[in-house]
Amino acid sequence: MEQLKRLATGIEGLDDLLKGGLVAGSSYIVQGRPGSGKTILANQLAFNHVATGGRVLVATLLSESHERLFQYLSTLSFFDPALVGNQLQFVSAFDTLESEGLEAVVKLLRGEIGRQGASLLIVDGLLNARSRAENVLDTKKFISELQGHAAFAGCTLLLLTSSRLDDGSPEHTMVDGVIELGEDLYGARSVRRIQLRKTRGSGALSGVHECEITEQGLKVYPRLEALYSHPSSPGSEVLTRVGTGLASLDGLLGGGFPSASVSLAMGPSGIGKTSLGLSFLAGATVAEPGLHFGFYETPQRLRIKARAIGIDLPALEKSGAVHLAWQPTTEGLLDGVGARLLSHVRKHRIKRVLIDSLGAFARLATNQGRLNEFFRALMGELRAEDVTVLATWEMRDLFGSEINAPASELSSIVDNLFLMRFVELDAELKRLLSILKVRDSEYDPALLELVIRSTGIELDKAFVQASAVMSGTASSAQGA
Amino acid sequence: MSTILVVDDEYVIADILGYALEDAGYKVEKAPNGKTALDVLEKVRIDLVITDYMMPIMNGEELAKAIRSNAQFADLPVILMSGAQASIGKAIPDLFSAVFDKPFDTASMVARVRAFIGVAEAGRDTPELQ
Repeated sequence: MEQLKRLATGIEGLDDLLKGGLVAGSSYIVQGRPGSGKTILANQLAFNHVATGGRVLVATLLSESHERLFQYLSTLSFFDPALVGNQLQFVSAFDTLESEGLEAVVKLLRGEIGRQGASLLIVDGLLNARSRAENVLDTKKFISELQGHAAFAGCTLLLLTSSRLDDGSPEHTMVDGVIELGEDLYGARSVRRIQLRKTRGSGALSGVHECEITEQGLKVYPRLEALYSHPSSPGSEVLTRVGTGLASLDGLLGGGFPSASVSLAMGPSGIGKTSLGLSFLAGATVAEPGLHFGFYETPQRLRIKARAIGIDLPALEKSGAVHLAWQPTTEGLLDGVGARLLSHVRKHRIKRVLIDSLGAFARLATNQGRLNEFFRALMGELRAEDVTVLATWEMRDLFGSEINAPASELSSIVDNLFLMRFVELDAELKRLLSILKVRDSEYDPALLELVIRSTGIELDKAFVQASAVMSGTASSAQGA
Repeated sequence: MSTILVVDDEYVIADILGYALEDAGYKVEKAPNGKTALDVLEKVRIDLVITDYMMPIMNGEELAKAIRSNAQFADLPVILMSGAQASIGKAIPDLFSAVFDKPFDTASMVARVRAFIGVAEAGRDTPELQ
């Protein structure tokens, strides 16, 4: 199979979508409404291309001045004015288009590609070419001539347009790829999106992907389930045990969590899920470090919480045994946060992760319908890295006999399920921990009382003499 | 009447600067690139050139070099107006009589033009009238 030569965009995530970059020498349309990020995408690509030794010609068919463009590009970290006028040329073809027409523009650009020795040509304002064209054939001719001259010079062509051209438009039929940028509203929240509407000669990741524009420019977050439709490695074949941090729980589980498994601790607020997770993390070592991937508690609050159960979190952090990654934003993008988790795991060779909480993670989704696929891909990838995961799930009811499993699509991604409840017994409020499910392993189904002390968490088989414990209102079995 | 040649591929800038210079009493010629500017110089008597740097076909630096290499234009003031490439112009003072960073204030450009070729009505041959 031939491998096509790629022109890497250097834009985070976009090269993953494009399976390595734009096909060198091909032509692409970048379309989206004003403000959708086309100009940033194109210029970021231009500066990145120069950084890898390329030369770029940016030609505009619009009347807007380049100085205005430079002014707002200067707020972005990739913009380097020293390159402008050298490796990066900006020319205006507006006047030529207006006074001499499309043919003259093609002639001008052909000359400029050669003069600049450009390996990338960006033409902004494709719609103006269409308005100047007398008929569809003119537009087609304009594009095909530009494509011809660019391809002949080994130059990749990017055509920017603010109109939403449909799939059947002459422009679309002629180019090799169409990248569409847009924005969608979810309640009051606006989320940028990118879609490869057409890609020739590559196994690009189709569908809609979320993206954002930061000071570093455009960042694309490929849908995790598309990116990792197959886990990137098979993971270990040897099943070992990873200590839960609690000797008594290890005993019930036959030595600990199965390695590279996903466990979910469900329970109401205040039951001790994070404390259980911190005990798990405290078992991490410098050789096999742990990661707290949290959504609620700041690192400061987490350290206080750890200290209250006798865990010296700062010491673990300092040694490199535990890393904290707090997601401060309530408006993160699901795939962006997933990618961040994986990046932490790979960077620090993390072997155990506490996701606190999975519910907060899931709430980032703009489309709940893809959560199952998303988490399956994420957990599959963590498994491929031999990471043992403990996640928490907050249940709504403090008491009550009803126990709602997390959405069924989530339980299928979880290997081991733990339920934590408040139980009233003998005029005392107790914390209960029970194992509901352990995949492919024996376990002791005893109900455990979880006691949080300043020296740590303790688990006791405390409910041997009681019945109806799971209902939340236990009764002592002795009298029965 | 003194004539000024404004060279810029971005017609909006050429227009705005052209109007300001015309308001100040100068006659203005325009060219969209260095090559066309040289053609204009052949045909029209120009007293001062204001040029952009980045342009198709022939850029501002190439234009200034062509002007300087022609004895006929040895004393012709050439002003560079450019944003990102102003530093290039400053690095070669032999080529450019002055360098303006875009965006600039047209009044200060007009004042600079006056300093080079005198007030518009006076013309460059009778600077003592100013």
